[in-house]
Amino acid sequence: MTDPVYFIAIPLLTAFLLPLFGKIYKPLIGIIPGLVFAFTAYISFDLYFNLEPGKPVIVQMAGWAPPWGINLVFGEFSGLIVSLITFLAFLVWVYSYNFKKVGFDNSKKYFTLLMLMVAGSIGVVLTGDIFNMFVFLEITAISSYGLTAFYKGRDSAEAAFKFLLIGSLSSTFILLAILLLYKQTGTLNMAEIAIKSQAIDPKIKSIIAILFFVGFGIEAEMFPLNGWVPDAYSQAPGPVAASFASILAKSGIYALIRVFYTVLDVEGIFNLLLTAGLLTIIFAEFTAMRQTRLRRMLAYSSIGQMGLIMVAFSFNTKAGVFAGLFLMFNHAVIKTLLFLASGFLTYSTKQKKIRDLDGFGKIMPFTSLMFGLGAFAIVGLPPFSGFWGKLNMLTATADSNLYLVIALILVVAVVEIIYYFKVIGRLYFRERHEDVNIQKPTWNAVLAMSILALVIIGVGLYPDFITDYLAKATNELFDKAGYIKHVLPSLSLN
Amino acid sequence: MKNVIIISLLGVTAYYLLSAFVSIPFGEDFINGVKDFYLNKSPEDLKVANVVTSIVVNFRGFDTLGEVTVLFLASTALGSILYRRRSSHTALNPQRTAPQASTLVQAGAKVIFPFTVLLGAYVFIHGHLTPGGGFQGGAIIATGFLLMLISYRKFFVEHNVLTWIEALAGTSFVVIGLAGLVYADNHNFLENFLPAGELNDLLSGGIIGIIYIAVGFKVGAEITGILDTLLTIKEAGLDPEEN
Repeated sequence: MTDPVYFIAIPLLTAFLLPLFGKIYKPLIGIIPGLVFAFTAYISFDLYFNLEPGKPVIVQMAGWAPPWGINLVFGEFSGLIVSLITFLAFLVWVYSYNFKKVGFDNSKKYFTLLMLMVAGSIGVVLTGDIFNMFVFLEITAISSYGLTAFYKGRDSAEAAFKFLLIGSLSSTFILLAILLLYKQTGTLNMAEIAIKSQAIDPKIKSIIAILFFVGFGIEAEMFPLNGWVPDAYSQAPGPVAASFASILAKSGIYALIRVFYTVLDVEGIFNLLLTAGLLTIIFAEFTAMRQTRLRRMLAYSSIGQMGLIMVAFSFNTKAGVFAGLFLMFNHAVIKTLLFLASGFLTYSTKQKKIRDLDGFGKIMPFTSLMFGLGAFAIVGLPPFSGFWGKLNMLTATADSNLYLVIALILVVAVVEIIYYFKVIGRLYFRERHEDVNIQKPTWNAVLAMSILALVIIGVGLYPDFITDYLAKATNELFDKAGYIKHVLPSLSLN
Repeated sequence: MKNVIIISLLGVTAYYLLSAFVSIPFGEDFINGVKDFYLNKSPEDLKVANVVTSIVVNFRGFDTLGEVTVLFLASTALGSILYRRRSSHTALNPQRTAPQASTLVQAGAKVIFPFTVLLGAYVFIHGHLTPGGGFQGGAIIATGFLLMLISYRKFFVEHNVLTWIEALAGTSFVVIGLAGLVYADNHNFLENFLPAGELNDLLSGGIIGIIYIAVGFKVGAEITGILDTLLTIKEAGLDPEEN
């Protein structure tokens, strides 16, 4: 049986050793991370598919049973997210492993930081201890600041600094919330807090909830806390933006829903989440429509998608969570494809403007096709996976009798179609500019994008591939008593 | 107008935070939680006299691995952010006009430096017996290097050596953790697999002391590296003939 600690320990070990590998043989700094990502992806799928139904794998750090020690929980919900993260991390590596342009020192930094961001995100998802979650959130956040500042220009330094300020605020809020929680319950174990949280003074509990909400909301790109997103996504390199969308934002939203579904029972928090999600959608989609730069447009679109995911989770129903997970899967896979494709589309344009891309459909057929496919999928057209996510979202909304929200989702879908089709129109139905340089995608980038495209089409044609797993994950999230029972077997006896 | 809104929002936030935090009584006995278990188990099972260390390195050792990683990240990310200014921003260089450290400081630094490093090493080697530990000891060692860096303009730290220390110390932390999976009784990450020894002996506490020594090396190397990065960038514009 694989120990879930490998998902964290092995990437950390590699990150520490990477500078030494670079001294032995330079290309190793590109190859070793790939082997590690492939290995973690393999063992996470292996562990996930061999999970006994309703029986999460729980390991204790240093041999102390919870609540005294830290524990990791690899269940049907966390296991699904970890498998998704490791799979996408591997594809991001495939796309970027021979970044020749940037040189040895920079690629060493890139792979070290990417490795630690993945390790941190996996830690956030797996841990069963609230302070440990904070530590991993810090690892994720600090490596993202470094990755944002990868290109050493003025703009990326500004983006990274903005991200650093907002991110530090987020960390502070989460730490304050944990402090108050520890004072109230005397423990940091999430399962034990879940038991004891009934007894917390409601006033203090709502302060804790707000602190968590704001802290995790920053990571999950919630309006109005997402000022860092457009800058960070547009200044970071393409694969980094892809990993922000697929890995960083996922760990933020995971932490948010884990805390509010399992750990804390707070009256009215889901209404707050619904409001924040709706505001996020409206703000992001209408801002995306006005963008002239491709990356910023994709960044705002990403915020909009995260808003939709928040709305889905705010219903607090099984249908809602199922739709939310489907949307998370879609957002992770499709946004990664879009960012990877946009990396090559805007590679040699100075301004990274949408209008620089006129007629690229003819000169960069493959990349344009991939971008078009991603755009069709993200707006929710059949037969792509995005369609099923949006369909489930609409039925879940209807089940909760929120008809205005349905109307809003449909209006927003039209807005999405407008701005994505604007790009596709330029790619395919405009004459190319005279003096365009293009960068042909490397074979490994083609491979990474093709795999993502196949996943999107495959799930679009046969959604049953994943619906079983999503349903299991949904059930696990709602089975709070089961979670507590597995983590703390001694306490559930009485 | 904007400022008024911001200040009033900050006021509201501060009021609610304060109202929550004043409810924590100062110095009174804390509600029952995990603390008694830690206080009893540290001397009995782990044979560690310093309970803080046993919590930091054993009960919550996984957090400490994370914190060590945060420091590693900070030094890596700082290097990547400050890199470019070496050549282009020498005009902003405060060190350039700063006067040379006086002979008194230079002579004193030379005397104090080895003792500072020795004290740091003492603090992290005795982390499981006396107050302090890897983080504190590492910080003390880095202060010694800082003293040398500001006293002598030509004192440079060999970054290659720092990289090796950082990598090997970090690796030994993780490898000791992974060894617990194989050799310890219950096969858990970071579980003790060495004999616990006698309370208050230098060789006690099993892997706890070893991990704290690794942490000490790593913290010392990283903070020294960060200080050197910061100072070297500012000195990059110096004329090599000067001094």
